[in-house]
Amino acid sequence: MDVLLQAIVNGILLGGFYALMGMGQNIIFGVMKIVNFCHGEMLMVGMYLTYMLYTYAGIDPYLALPLVALIMFLLGAGIQHTLITPSLKTKSFTNLLFLTVGLGLLLSNGALVLFGSDYKSIRTSYSQTNIMLGPVSVALPKLISFLVLIVVTIALFSFLKYSTTGKQIRAVSQNPVGAEVCGINVKRIYLLTYGLGIALAGIAGCLLTQFYSIYPTAGASFGFRALIVVVVGGLGSIPGAFFAGILLGLLEQMSALFISPSYSDMIVFITFIVILVVRQLLIMRRR
Amino acid sequence: MKKLFKALLPLALAATMFAGCAGGSQGGSGDSGSGTAEPTGETIKIGTIYAMSGDKAAIGENILRGIDFAVAEINAQGGVNGRMLEVVRGDHAGDAATGKSEAERLITQEHVDVMMGCHMSTVTEVVAQVCQQYGVPMITAISTLDKLSDEEHKAYDYFFRLCPLNSVYVEDMLKYLKDSSQQTGEEIKTVAIFTDKAAIGQELIRCVNLFAANYGIEVVGEVDYSGGAADLSAQVLALKQMNPDAILCDSYVSDATLFINTLKEQNYKPKMIVAKANGFTDPSFITNLGSAANGVASVVEFNNDLTNGVEINKEFKEQYGVDMNGHSAESYTVVWLFKAAIEKAGSTDGEAVKQALADLVIDGAFEGGRNIVLPYSHIDFAEEYDLAGSKHYRDNTSASVAIAQIQDGEWKTVWPFEFASSKIQYPAPLE
Repeated sequence: MDVLLQAIVNGILLGGFYALMGMGQNIIFGVMKIVNFCHGEMLMVGMYLTYMLYTYAGIDPYLALPLVALIMFLLGAGIQHTLITPSLKTKSFTNLLFLTVGLGLLLSNGALVLFGSDYKSIRTSYSQTNIMLGPVSVALPKLISFLVLIVVTIALFSFLKYSTTGKQIRAVSQNPVGAEVCGINVKRIYLLTYGLGIALAGIAGCLLTQFYSIYPTAGASFGFRALIVVVVGGLGSIPGAFFAGILLGLLEQMSALFISPSYSDMIVFITFIVILVVRQLLIMRRR
Repeated sequence: MKKLFKALLPLALAATMFAGCAGGSQGGSGDSGSGTAEPTGETIKIGTIYAMSGDKAAIGENILRGIDFAVAEINAQGGVNGRMLEVVRGDHAGDAATGKSEAERLITQEHVDVMMGCHMSTVTEVVAQVCQQYGVPMITAISTLDKLSDEEHKAYDYFFRLCPLNSVYVEDMLKYLKDSSQQTGEEIKTVAIFTDKAAIGQELIRCVNLFAANYGIEVVGEVDYSGGAADLSAQVLALKQMNPDAILCDSYVSDATLFINTLKEQNYKPKMIVAKANGFTDPSFITNLGSAANGVASVVEFNNDLTNGVEINKEFKEQYGVDMNGHSAESYTVVWLFKAAIEKAGSTDGEAVKQALADLVIDGAFEGGRNIVLPYSHIDFAEEYDLAGSKHYRDNTSASVAIAQIQDGEWKTVWPFEFASSKIQYPAPLE
């Protein structure tokens, strides 16, 4: 029983992290209809950024969070402006696919050149602290990152729902041409959206430094899971991404507990494929 | 006249080429051939084939340091049979085809008398083939892949291996678990294996299952994960439920670090963790984990506090500024083995040196040299022996590894007890 409780808590905390990654990917996909294949690498950039702020400026990782988010937002907006906007004109999906994949390779190899292949970490006084909630042991950094996730989810949801810019983003997501006709600056919205998505990856990276090693390919396994979250949670839906992330975390933990840890990855991906197929069938029947 | 010249030219060419070939094949046997033409002061050439460029270059550098250190020692004493040693370096750059051409170059052009190599077992295998073809004795200091000495390679009688085999590494981990009760007072009866899904991990699982029963140890579970894992809490929970007396593991460094962090996070303190080196002995492992790494034990080939290695390590460090590692200690030993064999053979003739190596027994110390600097005190290449049901040839069957444990942030040798400087810390504090 204790083990089950522990596994559920582990699953929720881990899933929360996947959700955070998925939300960034989802907002980009929802609005611009492009899959950001360098999302995992952006997570890695966020990690190195936090690492540099901590090592060279002595800024605590959690205090650095807003700063990392801001820098990553600017980086994202810059990439959108200089690279993605021009290639959106071509209306070619493959073009953007190669662009984002290539960007990912560039970033991870750039990190390799700049920082070397060694595994770095940030050890703060609290990074190895555990809290006991009854029989369940929880790592403080994971708990904090889950709380950040909740704050971010609520903030993002209300931003999209109530603010003018948020409404514009949703309008562009539903119909870019219509939105442009209504006088919305679609280019500006794209800039904002991509920046926002990358900022979310940066936030995730910043939180991750407290319980994961920092190395050039650190983002790979997380980036992949972000894609699953997007597909399962529904395109463009923030609450959908939130719950899909947690579901994914729980699924990994439960399949490890009840079947075998060796098969948990396999089960996750099989479930992913099943969901894809079932959804496709449902859509076809509706037609 | 002109016509005659034209007719004779190819013949003359062929003759010189033939002479060249003959010279080449004799090059391996050094002073045997043209006897009088060679001055007695000619050097004995040791060919080495390691990576000196590419991403494995750092490994090659450590190996070559060990070799240079031994050569300097031997030459300072007047060399071997009055002849100085000379190292002729080949660079395989991490590639088997390059290794093969380098081996051919060293033998046919540089006329090396004996060969050492390589770092990667796949390269070692092709170089051993070339050496066999030209009759040049070869010892590998560090290639651990079991199959290099198996039935398939029985005919390679110019090839010898000093280091322990992969499966011996694992058997030594189990020996350590069994012996540890002498210090801890608690018998290790059950183990769980925690490892990567990749080949390294499957090899660990295979070997543990092969030997565990011989040491009265039961394998209660195998937990594996895909390398570069995002999370290991499910794996750690599974281990916690199995509750083994000890955990045996083999992981790359990011997973090894995450594993130890996750143990803490899941509030699980296994009493004993023994790793098969790899990520656990990477320098960043201790740096990144700090005190959480205390108590983790690992297989090592050499450690700076190994009782018979302390002295040499001190001199080595003075010269190169870094500690001797397993690779440099093993390659150092191989140079001394060649010295002993050539002295015994009385010449550098390939056949004679091969025979001398096969008959060679080093017990405790080298003649005119140090005690063996590795965690064993006997070297003897067995003509044929049995390892876990399969026959192997010309390995040093006395070879063994040591076990070191992280104590206060430093690796301390704890086993074999006669070479150890510290006592086993039990249970592992992990804080």
